[in-house]
Amino acid sequence: MTDAAVLEHDRAAAGAPQPPTPIAQEKANAMTDKKIGDVILDIQNISLRFGGVKALTDISFNVREHEIRSIIGPNGAGKSSMLNCINGVYTPSEGSITFRGQTFAHMNSRQVAEMGVARTFQNLALFKGMSVIDNIMTGRNLKMKSNILLQALHLGPARREELAHREFVEHIIDFLEIQAYRKTPVGQLPYGLQKRVDLGRALAMEPQVLLLDEPMAGMNVEEKQDMCRFILDVNDEFGTTIVLIEHDMGVVMDISDRVVVLDYGKKIGDGAPDEVRNNEDVIRAYLGTSH
Amino acid sequence: MAFFLETLFGGLMVGTLYALVAIGFVLIFKASGVFNFAQGAMVLFSALVMARFSQWIPQWLGMEPGLLGNLLAIVVTLVCMVIVAWVIERLALRHLVNQEPIILLMATLGIAYLLDGFGPMVFGSEVYSIDVGMPKDPVFLLESTFDGGVMISLEDLFAAGIAAIMVVALSIFFQKTKTGRALRAVADDHQAAQSIGIPLSRIWVIVWSVAGAVALVVGVIWGSKLGVQYSLSLVALKALPVVILGGLTSLPGAIIGGLIIGVGEKLSEVYIGPMVGGGIETWFAYGLALCFLLVRPQGLFGDKIIDRV
Amino acid sequence: MFYRENGQFKTSYAADQQIFTVAQDRYAILGLLAIAFLVVPMVANDYTFQAILIPFVIMSLGALGLNILVGYCGQISLGTAAFMAVGAYAAYNFQVRFEGMPLLVALIGGGLCAMVVGVLFGLPSLRIRGLYLAVATLAAQFFVDWLTTRAAWVTNNSSSGSVSARALEIAGWKINTPMDKYLLCLGILTLLALAMKNLVRSSVGREWMAMRDMDVAASVIGIRPVYAKLSAFAVSSFVVGIAGALWGFVHLGSWEPAAFSLDRSLQLLFMIIIGGLGSIVGSIFGAAFFVLLPLFLNQVPHWLGLPISTATATYLEHMIFGALIVFFLIVEPHGLAKLWATARQKLRVWPFPH
Repeated sequence: MTDAAVLEHDRAAAGAPQPPTPIAQEKANAMTDKKIGDVILDIQNISLRFGGVKALTDISFNVREHEIRSIIGPNGAGKSSMLNCINGVYTPSEGSITFRGQTFAHMNSRQVAEMGVARTFQNLALFKGMSVIDNIMTGRNLKMKSNILLQALHLGPARREELAHREFVEHIIDFLEIQAYRKTPVGQLPYGLQKRVDLGRALAMEPQVLLLDEPMAGMNVEEKQDMCRFILDVNDEFGTTIVLIEHDMGVVMDISDRVVVLDYGKKIGDGAPDEVRNNEDVIRAYLGTSH
Repeated sequence: MAFFLETLFGGLMVGTLYALVAIGFVLIFKASGVFNFAQGAMVLFSALVMARFSQWIPQWLGMEPGLLGNLLAIVVTLVCMVIVAWVIERLALRHLVNQEPIILLMATLGIAYLLDGFGPMVFGSEVYSIDVGMPKDPVFLLESTFDGGVMISLEDLFAAGIAAIMVVALSIFFQKTKTGRALRAVADDHQAAQSIGIPLSRIWVIVWSVAGAVALVVGVIWGSKLGVQYSLSLVALKALPVVILGGLTSLPGAIIGGLIIGVGEKLSEVYIGPMVGGGIETWFAYGLALCFLLVRPQGLFGDKIIDRV
Repeated sequence: MFYRENGQFKTSYAADQQIFTVAQDRYAILGLLAIAFLVVPMVANDYTFQAILIPFVIMSLGALGLNILVGYCGQISLGTAAFMAVGAYAAYNFQVRFEGMPLLVALIGGGLCAMVVGVLFGLPSLRIRGLYLAVATLAAQFFVDWLTTRAAWVTNNSSSGSVSARALEIAGWKINTPMDKYLLCLGILTLLALAMKNLVRSSVGREWMAMRDMDVAASVIGIRPVYAKLSAFAVSSFVVGIAGALWGFVHLGSWEPAAFSLDRSLQLLFMIIIGGLGSIVGSIFGAAFFVLLPLFLNQVPHWLGLPISTATATYLEHMIFGALIVFFLIVEPHGLAKLWATARQKLRVWPFPH
């Protein structure tokens, strides 16, 4: 079903009780013990311009610790640009971002990574020439401290560090169920598996906030269920805050705690999934208006 | 003061010669997105072929070596350059469609080596001379203002004129003609150009042939000045900084870049050289290019290089 | 059926991360090293050492260094010979200006100087890439050319413009026969190749490869582009500098700036393209190819009864190199190393087709 149809369908059925989808059931199970904390990421009046094009106009919203926050909106709404601003890839023209109490006019990629924010990419930014395990190991890079001379000799601290991180990465590989592909060059894997490796690399950074840019694009139903399971597990077991861009309305409505809706670079909705579902502006953005 | 002017003019003249070579680079880059390291080899090759044919043709036809022989030699060489362009496209470029620029650059390095080997093997490796009737004697200007006048080489003036004509002709070609537009499309994105029906192979043969023709002009001019020998292909190395300065995609930029480098080289050699032991000419151009690369990599007139995430 | 990994499973990460995980590979390499160090010196004659083996070993080292920069970190460099020259002249100056300077210290000093110069000329890589970087590295080549020709202090005020290394000696072992020289170079190559292999499979190597494959994504993970690129230039130039010092001291004995010309830079680049970008063993393949091809071209036509002049042989060499560069770039961008890996893969399943 298209997004618009899902919204219509949900709205129409709002009165009648519906059995929860499997994903929603998992979410409900996980939710019982979850405590959503204080605001960890605060986006304040962010505007982004590319020459004459305004990608984002005066966007403000916040993200609370341990929650799953989704950003939705039609194509071209500026969702990826928003993520790029949080991540330091783009520099906003106006506004500021507050992360854990510190305010920045623009973020520096490396600083952001050091502060505990990891992300996946819509178009996959994997290192095609390296194997799966090497790709995920690069995610551990921030935590590896040994110097270059020791590494050249591959003795002592360098070797121990390498093995310790290898073990951590193996846990992630187990978690994502990609053991069989460990040594395969990433470029040779099918798309769905590449997306898992992308997620693995982000997880390797042990992030506090995980930015996921359309992690389920191009997947079939089973793959989506697997990915949802991974995301929910990460949120549940490690308490990672998740900011998620996704087009599949069913997934968004089922797993999110709160939702932000963007359209043409402006915010048109913000709140719990149910509120957003019934928001006139949101429906109009997806369905269009009749004049 | 007269000496300064002489140095200045000398620099300007050398600059136009550099610019001529740079035009060949810009042409191929503008039209196929390939940075042609083999341009220097093409200059040498075309000069060699022309020099030999200008000896052989009179022998074969039983004529005196002279203007007619030279003209025929030039025509024959042009045909050769078209063949070379066709072979390069067929055997190399066709298979490297849409590869990264660095792979294409290294491929042109390979082609340069090929030409460097093939030329002398088939056409001989001695130093040959080209005589196309260019005036060799210098001319003295402004004898009334300065004592003894300012010496200018007519040959170089000639070359400058030819460079200017070529730039104008090529600029018109690129901007105003259908083929020119197709060439620009190909430079931007090979696959996109292919998908709208631009015949990539034919375009590339055209471009490399034109670049070959430009190389021939350069080869004849430089060859008649320096003689046809291996050092001719090193001229191309001088043209690289010119292209960086002027911008890889700008024909007028090639001229202006060439002038700046020519003048800069000569002036720095004369006025700064003695302070550091001389020989600055060899790296001045590259030093200047380096500064530009750090501050403004697209050069004075080139298109801005955008890196997409 | 000889090259099976049956029964060889790893029970620790350390075992899985070895350089040669397949037992047959380990034995093969040990065998090869034994042959190189023990058998070859007994069998080869002086000519073979001087004309083939020593250049091969030193060029392998140079190609190895360049491969780190170009193949693993993706930074193009056309000024390699300049760094070799810095290594050679610096080592020479250390040896000549400081009485009693041990050879190895002079060599390492040469490498360190080359490293500094390499990092300096690598600074542009922070802002530009691809062919623009290639032009920047050419600046290094011309600048060093000029320096070694004009600056008198570089050649210790030599009047002829060329310099000669002193007699070579390490802790009493006088290195004057070709066999001794060969063993010295081979030892240095083995040590540095091992060090490079270690670097390439640890976190710094992954940083380099990340910069090569996608540098924007790399910075998002927390990799510092500055550190990654400059460390690649540093390590590469160090190795290349030592190769240059060996080339001058051991192979040439006495040399002029022309020994480290642009041609040499291009030759090294060709070696790693043909041998395999991003491969330690590929660098060695490329160097072997480069050294053997001229010999082949000189001998084979004689055997076939078609004598060709040396000049023609040189031109033919140029043509074959050029053609092979284009061929490899089209057909197998990963060079001989990939062909070798494919052959081994076929060997693993032989006699089955797959």
